[in-house]
Amino acid sequence: MLNRIFGLETEYGLLIHEDRPSHSPTWFAHRIRDHLFRVQRQGVLDLHHRGHDEPPGNGGFLTNAGRIYLDMGHLEYASPECHSLTDVVASDRAGDLLLQQAIEDLGYSDQVSLIKNNIDHETDATFGSHENYLVSRRFPFSRRGLAPLVTFLVTRQIFTGSGRVGSAALQDAWIQMDRLLVPRSSFGAHHVSEPPFQISQRADYIVNDFFEWVQHNRAIVNTRDEPLADPNQYRRIHLLLGDSNMAEYATALKLGTTGLVLQLIEEGHAPQDLEIDEPVEALQEISQDQERRWLVQLQSHKTLSAVDIQERFLDCAVQHCRGQDEETDWVLAQWASVLHDLRGDYQKLVGRVDWASKLWLLDCFREAEHVDWTDPMLKSLDLEYHNLNPAKGLYHGLLEQGRAPRVTTDRLIHLAMEAAPKNTRAYGRSELVRHLLNEWPASATDQLPAPDGLSPPYVINWSIFQVRGHAPFSMPDPFKTYLEDVRTHLERAIV
Amino acid sequence: MKYSMMPERREGPVDPMPKSPRPLEEGGGPRRPETGSPDKDSLMKRMRKVDPKQAERYRQRTGE
Repeated sequence: MLNRIFGLETEYGLLIHEDRPSHSPTWFAHRIRDHLFRVQRQGVLDLHHRGHDEPPGNGGFLTNAGRIYLDMGHLEYASPECHSLTDVVASDRAGDLLLQQAIEDLGYSDQVSLIKNNIDHETDATFGSHENYLVSRRFPFSRRGLAPLVTFLVTRQIFTGSGRVGSAALQDAWIQMDRLLVPRSSFGAHHVSEPPFQISQRADYIVNDFFEWVQHNRAIVNTRDEPLADPNQYRRIHLLLGDSNMAEYATALKLGTTGLVLQLIEEGHAPQDLEIDEPVEALQEISQDQERRWLVQLQSHKTLSAVDIQERFLDCAVQHCRGQDEETDWVLAQWASVLHDLRGDYQKLVGRVDWASKLWLLDCFREAEHVDWTDPMLKSLDLEYHNLNPAKGLYHGLLEQGRAPRVTTDRLIHLAMEAAPKNTRAYGRSELVRHLLNEWPASATDQLPAPDGLSPPYVINWSIFQVRGHAPFSMPDPFKTYLEDVRTHLERAIV
Repeated sequence: MKYSMMPERREGPVDPMPKSPRPLEEGGGPRRPETGSPDKDSLMKRMRKVDPKQAERYRQRTGE
């Protein structure tokens, strides 16, 4: 899409199919990562400390220019930088498939399942699906400038949510008041009774409108300023409130609509009279509304439904963005179609919207087996929707039957497992990773850190890399491929 | 209602990696689920195979 770089980061859960497992999910995560890098040689492991929780060998960059690593015990995949929705959907599913194939290669398929969701029902743990959007440094990153984005994000869950059975316990939350952090509970936050089903997985865990932390006190808009690009030109909008989507269609629509709303804000065309009175509460109330009326109280004292609000954003996007490129027109058409169908029977959305697919499956099961929402089997079915094993997963069952529309193909996904998009910085990084794989035998990275006591032979980051003995190579512009420059640089380098 | 596939992506500075497929003539979208259809029976079969205790076993660390 026009002037946009997209990226997705996904933390996966691991389900162990044993009553008394001999190994933890984290143990399996280590084996899967090691298999990917040391046996399959899908990329190069970091040989340096990336941070206090990322020692050498914790993860590395792939030939597709994305990353696989362990984060808080979870396997995490970060897609390469993508300039189109087609690329980012293919790259996202490529990460799923890389990890699923590693499990199958290792012979672990009967022992462990890879679950692409964001919660566990037992301990209320949550883990993220983070979205990245590159915007201009001139983007109005202030409470006032971001107000339309908050309204859009609170209400977009009606088509981006993955749905879940039940809810999480009330989360600890702190609110920044001037320079003080005060507990949210002192402002009268209350816990509603547990709903049988809600449309979002992450809504229960979002406790602030703006904040910079990512592991606690999660906010609708994360305010960490880390562009991973030239900070004079770019800002990276980093969102952690979204759910991991199984449906390709939902992934494309989530990123596409959000990209267009960011464009409306950048260009001064976003609707300005839609500020929500209490955005955090509205996020949770919409998610848990069993009647799916999704009413929202605005600061102007008007009450609108989430569908009404989304239609206001759609109208602005049609007026200002239509015709700028084919992907934009695809997003506008599908956005209108989904909003239209959200006013009717939710079953029309099965296959396109994850919460609707899951709810339909659960309703079918409840009806056939005569069970109510308190039956613990429903939580297990909720998980199975996200199982990436194509022979088991319920979303994969819908896909197999042609009920879930594709926005990419298996061929493109397989290509994206090994190749980077050829129109972003990822292409240059991919060239570097391939070069290092050719230069370094598999055994060389078995000894971590660097065995000779010198500086690591290579250090790779999103916007810069260095090969030992040579100057750092900077890649500050994600829209440039740097391919020829990287090749020239590497020809001169002696590894 | 017909759903179209994503349009062909635009050319990048060099040959782009993926070429998205052309729209399917009859649309690639889902059919409305029908009760009692063979498709539904196959999904029910998948659901009945699920271990009822797996949600109890699924205990993860909190991430980001």
